[in-house]
Amino acid sequence: MGYRDVAKIGIGGPVGSGKTALVRRLVPTLVDEGYEVGVIANDIMTQEDADVFRDSFADLLPEDLVEGVETGACPHTGIREDPSMNLAAIDEFTERHPNLDVVIVESGGDNLAATFNPELADYFLFVISVAEGEDIPRKRGPGVTQADLLVVNKTDLAPHVDADLDVIERDAAEVRGDDPFVFTNCKDGSGVDEVIDHVDREVLFA
Amino acid sequence: MTTDSGSFLTALRLADSFLPVGGYTASYGLEQYINEDRIEDGDDLRDLLAAYLRRVVGPCETVAVANAHAARTEGDLERLLAVDERLHAVTMPREFRESSTKAGAKLCELLVAGDDVRTPDSGAGVADAIEQNSTPGHYPVVFGVVAADRGLSRLEACLAHAYSFVTGLLGAAQRLGRFGHTEIQSVLESVQPVVTEACERYVDADVTTMSSFAPLTEIMGMRHERAGRRLFMS
Repeated sequence: MGYRDVAKIGIGGPVGSGKTALVRRLVPTLVDEGYEVGVIANDIMTQEDADVFRDSFADLLPEDLVEGVETGACPHTGIREDPSMNLAAIDEFTERHPNLDVVIVESGGDNLAATFNPELADYFLFVISVAEGEDIPRKRGPGVTQADLLVVNKTDLAPHVDADLDVIERDAAEVRGDDPFVFTNCKDGSGVDEVIDHVDREVLFA
Repeated sequence: MTTDSGSFLTALRLADSFLPVGGYTASYGLEQYINEDRIEDGDDLRDLLAAYLRRVVGPCETVAVANAHAARTEGDLERLLAVDERLHAVTMPREFRESSTKAGAKLCELLVAGDDVRTPDSGAGVADAIEQNSTPGHYPVVFGVVAADRGLSRLEACLAHAYSFVTGLLGAAQRLGRFGHTEIQSVLESVQPVVTEACERYVDADVTTMSSFAPLTEIMGMRHERAGRRLFMS
């Protein structure tokens, strides 16, 4: 059993957009649904960060199903051109837990061009924040246009940063065509159920 | 030393950072040198790389590449695994061993395990042994196998490996420190003769001579395990 035998969800997006917050919302739900889940965080900066990450899932996941992967200051390389170290970490998960159902791979924060290698992620979510500017979708970055699901997070901040959610919705619909996008506020959990529905439908029941 | 076009291109491919074996995640202690302000300019970097080449890459990894290449050429799996075991034993810092074995496993998966040119007594044998965790599968060992399979001479294999080690570390230095691209190329130019010197000196060395003497580098590698900043796996 190896990385090819387990479902893999990639979560990418710029620094501070809410990728980790989304992972923290997704994991308890997937565990609650009965799935055995592994989590890989790219670009933790210190062992202290790794410990914080393990602590946050201490009651949900075995410690050896939470792993940090350093990508040598090249987050996009780690998820796109050369995902070998992430795949190696998934191989280690599956060796220790042969019944593993799904692995969430969180990319280090990157730019709007970062996309997941399809051999690393069966399903790719790209997380942006309204606080990064309402014009992010219409810039048509490959992350925004190619992701299986675009997640527009921190909707609660929109009035404080002069971001118009209607503009973001219109532009996201235009640049993504028929591909889905979801508004979320991972802080209070709104919109997260819709993300879970997509993941369940497109990855786990596929 | 002459080579055909196919082998020449293989050498370029194996020495290219485009090869997807995770080389960009390894700094082999360099990150810790920079964390501790021990590398401040191009001269420091030049001296460190020359020391790596003379004390680690030459007497340790080049010996492994060369002997793995010879073992593969002779179809001697037992000898190949002995090279791997020896390299594992003389690589002191845990993270150095992990970076090397992870990259080795990925190179094996990419270019040995599914390779039509493999033979049952060597290529496939080492791929199975790595897959079954019965041998560590260090990168220089797998590199020697791949290079032999694809027609590189032993010296060419050692040169390609040592060169890619140097450019990997220079890339890491550029991402970690404040080095300009022209300065990095200048360092590369000046250590290139040391690459040749180290490879020519150790290409015929017996596996029993394989050893490294780089105590500070090893200490840096071990301190990196608990480093305050970690962008690299080693």
